[in-house]
Parts: sequence; structure tokens; C-alpha cells
Amino acid sequence: MIVVEDIHVTFGRGTPLEKHALRGVDLTIPEGQFVTVIGSNGAGKSTFLGSLAGDVLAEQGRIAIDGTDVTRWDTPRRAGLVARVFQDPMAGSCATLTIEENMALAAARGRRRGLAPALGGDRRKGFRDRIAALGLGLENRLHDRMGLLSGGQRQAVSLLMATLAGSKILLLDEHTAALDPATADFVLDLTRRIVRDNRLTTLMVTHSMRQALDYGDRTLMLHEGRVVLDVAGEERAGLDVPHLLALFAKQRGGAEISDDSLLIG
Amino acid sequence: MTEIALFGAIEIGLVYALVAIGVYLSFRILDFPDLTVDGSFPLGAAVCAVLLIAGVNPWLASLAAALAGAAAGLVTATLNVRFKILHLLASILTMIALFSVNLRVMGRPNVALLMQDTVLTPFYGLGIPDHIVRPLVVGVIVAAVVLLLARFLGSEFGLAMRATGVNARMARAQGVDTDAHVYAGIALSNALTGLAGALFAQTNGFADVTTGIGTIVVGLAAVIVGETVLPARALALALIGCVAGSILYRLAVQLALSADAIGLQASDLNLVTAVLVAVALILPRLKAKASRSTKAAR
Ligand SMILES: Nc1ncnc2c1ncn2[C@@H]1O[C@H](COP(=O)(O)OP(=O)(O)O)[C@@H](O)[C@H]1O
Ligand SMILES: [Mg+2]
Repeated sequence: MIVVEDIHVTFGRGTPLEKHALRGVDLTIPEGQFVTVIGSNGAGKSTFLGSLAGDVLAEQGRIAIDGTDVTRWDTPRRAGLVARVFQDPMAGSCATLTIEENMALAAARGRRRGLAPALGGDRRKGFRDRIAALGLGLENRLHDRMGLLSGGQRQAVSLLMATLAGSKILLLDEHTAALDPATADFVLDLTRRIVRDNRLTTLMVTHSMRQALDYGDRTLMLHEGRVVLDVAGEERAGLDVPHLLALFAKQRGGAEISDDSLLIG
Repeated sequence: MTEIALFGAIEIGLVYALVAIGVYLSFRILDFPDLTVDGSFPLGAAVCAVLLIAGVNPWLASLAAALAGAAAGLVTATLNVRFKILHLLASILTMIALFSVNLRVMGRPNVALLMQDTVLTPFYGLGIPDHIVRPLVVGVIVAAVVLLLARFLGSEFGLAMRATGVNARMARAQGVDTDAHVYAGIALSNALTGLAGALFAQTNGFADVTTGIGTIVVGLAAVIVGETVLPARALALALIGCVAGSILYRLAVQLALSADAIGLQASDLNLVTAVLVAVALILPRLKAKASRSTKAAR
């Protein structure tokens, strides 16, 4: 369970470029919930996920994960609780390390790393079985460097890596945005499967309203650093994209929606 | 080239192989251009020489030299990680400071080791000529370092260190304390360099504050030569490449110096090495540019 209480984040405080990116976000996300997050560019979606992961520390407010106050924890310390997949397929793995080395890195997430061989014992076999389940034929390429994989393959492996250390929270920041449509669909299906099989509490940022409604069980809309829409259950089931756009317009005080990124899908 | 000159080149190549491996750790694995080695090499030599003169066991003196090198590396890493000074500048600051420190350690610009026992002493009496004993002993030490380091870099901790150099953001997201790994890696790199300095002092019979000049360039040259002759992805092979590169570099230097026709003097070495490294750094860019323009032409 994630509890977020009134968090604020300001970039470049005291400079001419000061940006109050999160302005009091309050949320409780129960264990196992799959939340989709939408909002126009600059709404604060990435900043919100970053504040959960520890990349940006909230200057005000409180974040608790499974009852532990992690507000002041940095990224490496939170990594045992939180796994993530980034938008840029290159960002989530080490291009010059092999697939199995990347997996070994992820498998040790949240543990103390000692001098035992990273790929010792029956580790390799375990990795092979896990990656075979992706159905991409990567089980024969464990010694290949990650950089040789396509963007979609890298995102698929990144998703798999997110499950190797048993953390219960998964943060996805537009993780299909850099992929072609067919590959994006594959990665989204994989996401759904992995979230279900591992019963992960998930936040998925997407630029597609369609995806936001089709996947998961709750949808948040962020605008100017605040949650302006939070729907789940029947209310959400009755929504379609035009409704969502209308709701969004209302939240903004009736202003027309001009942001292209919100109209896709 | 005489036999003595040949083995002399191999010996000095093996000593500097430890520098090359250190440079490989900082430049290649951690992506941290660290010039501290110009100071930590003579520091290792100075610490070892002074301790030998004080009657300390040569192995302990060599270990102390490595620890002194590690401490120098920690200073650079602290300036960079903790105080956000650009890595190059941080390492230059440490390097300059070490010049003074080394003078303090020795009390004068150079120290001769005449009658002192060294790690080599026990092996001199075995009936093998001295000029072969030296590269043999140093070679065994280098081999041990390569083995241990290959194992270390394949460990969970070592893998995290490599990830830190490749993609620090990803490493942090995987729970790696990247700062700690930079400290550890730069300390290890300079520990190896300090050990190289200690072996230099013991094989050559002196320590001199000026021996550090250009250490970084020689180390880089060895790494680059190694990568050229042994373009390997596997880590153990890359480390062996550093050793091979260092020896080949010294052999090439020896050949160039002994060929009177070229007219090179020992004092030209730094210039030649710098040009070699510069060319090696420029070539890949030119190649990339050439392949881009041929693609564009198609
Ligand atoms: N590191 C940063 N430094 C300064 N401003 C930032 C930084 N990260 C984000 N911002 C600003 O904060 C706002 C929210 O950004 P972000 O969370 O990335 O939006 P989104 O992901 O919803 O598009 C934007 O105005 C952005 O320019
Ligand atoms: Mg974003």
C-alpha cells in the first residue's frame, strides 16, 4: 500500500525558473491496485512517479510504503520496495552489459551486494527459465549485450527485471511511448500479465486516454501538480474517451483542450 | 634489441600493466577520467622506498604503498562525489597536492634503494639471471591481480560497479549506491597504481618524485593498445588486454629507441606517447564521421 500525504515538489527554488511541479498530492493506493495516470505535458506525472521512487524528494508532505515512512529515503534505498521501467528503453538497462548481467543486477535489488559471483550457482538457469516465458526467444541470447536488443525487447526484459527481486510496487512512466504500435501492444499485454501474476501495485503513466481506461482499475488525471480526477469502479467502467475529455475540460474550468498528447487513442 | 633490453621492456611493461588495469577501471569501467595516477604512482614508490629503508618487510611495504594509493583515490573521489568538483579537475588537484606530499614522504626528491631487501631478493639466488627473475616475479604478481580482479568484477559488488559506470540512473533504480561504488572503484584503481609504484621502486632501486609525470598517458596508451590487439567483450580478456597492451607498448618504445635511424631519445617518450594516445582517441571519431558521410552519400 502506498500512502501519499500532501506532497509538494519545487524545482529550481528561488531561481527565475522556479517550478512548483507538485502542489499537494494526496492519495492512498491499496495493495495490488493498478492505477493509470494521465495528464498533459508538464502536468507533473513524471515528477510524481519520481517522488515515489526517490529521485525527487518531497519538500513537504509524507510518503509511506507498506506502513514505512520513506519520505526521506533516496532512490537506492527505496529500490527494494519499488521497481520501475522508464520511457526510454535505453534508460532502464545497461547497454554494454549482457542480458544475464542486467538480470543479475535486478535480482539483487534491495539486497546487500557482496563478493559472491553475480551469476553463480543455478542463477543462470533461473534467468533462462524466466526469460523464456516472455516468448521472445531471448533464452538463447543471455550472453548478448543488452544494447543489441530492439526497444521492445529491452522494455520486455526491463519489465521482467522489475519482478526478479520481489518488490511489490511497479512504476511505469510512458514505457511504451517510444515503441511502434504493434510492439507497444505486446509490451502492454506483457505488462498486464506481469502485474497480474505478481500481484503488483502499479502506477502506469500513459499519454493515451484509451489505454488509461482499458488497463488497470483506477485512473488519475494530473493537472498543474494536482490530482484533478480520480475514478475507479463503476464510475470508471462507465467512462469512455469523450467523457474523460469532457471531465478534464470541466476540471480545467471549461477551457478547451488543446494538448495533442491527450487526444491520442 | 639485446636480450637484456628485451626482458627490461617486458619487466617495465608488467609494472605498468597494473597502472593500465587501474586506468581501465577508472576510465573504462567507471567512466571517470582520473588523472590521480600521476601522483599515486610516485606516492606508492615513495612510501615503499621509505618503509624499506626503515626495515619494514617488503610485502608489507608494498601493501602500504597500495593503501596510500587508495587513500589518494579516495581524496579525488570525495572531491568529485561529495563536493561536486568535475572529475578531471578533482583528480588534477589531488595529483598536484601529491607532488608535495611525495616530497614530504621521502624528505628529498629521490631515494636510492641499495642494500635493502625487496620482494625480489629471495628469488635472486635461485640460479636464474636477475634480468629474468624481475619480470617473472612481477609477472606472477600481475597474474594474481588479474585473477582476483576478474573475480571481483564478476561478483555482485563488482557488477554493480560496472553498472554504475554504464548507466548510473539505472544502477540507482536497482538499489546500487552509486556513490559508494565510485569511491571503491577509484580507490581500487589508485591502489593498483600505488602497488605499481612500489614494484617500480623495487625493480629499479630508486624512488623519484618525477617518475609520476605522464603515468596516466602511458596507462591509457597501454589500455588502447590492448583494446586494439584484443578487442574483447569478456572482462577477463579485457584485463589481459591491458597487460598485453602495456608490454607491447614498452616493446615498441624499446624498438623505436634502439633504432638509431629514427633518432629518438628517451626524453622524447612522453611526446610520442601523447601523440599516440591522441591519434587513438581521434581515429574512432574520424571513422564514425567517414561512415556517416558514406551513408549519407548513398
Ligand atoms: N529536473 C527538473 N528541473 C526543473 N524543472 C523540472 C524538472 N523536472 C520537471 N520539471 C518541470 O516540472 C514540470 C512537471 O514535469 P514532469 O513531471 O516531467 O511532467 P509530465 O511527466 O507530466 O509531462 C514541468 O514544468 C517540467 O518542466
Ligand atoms: Mg513525463
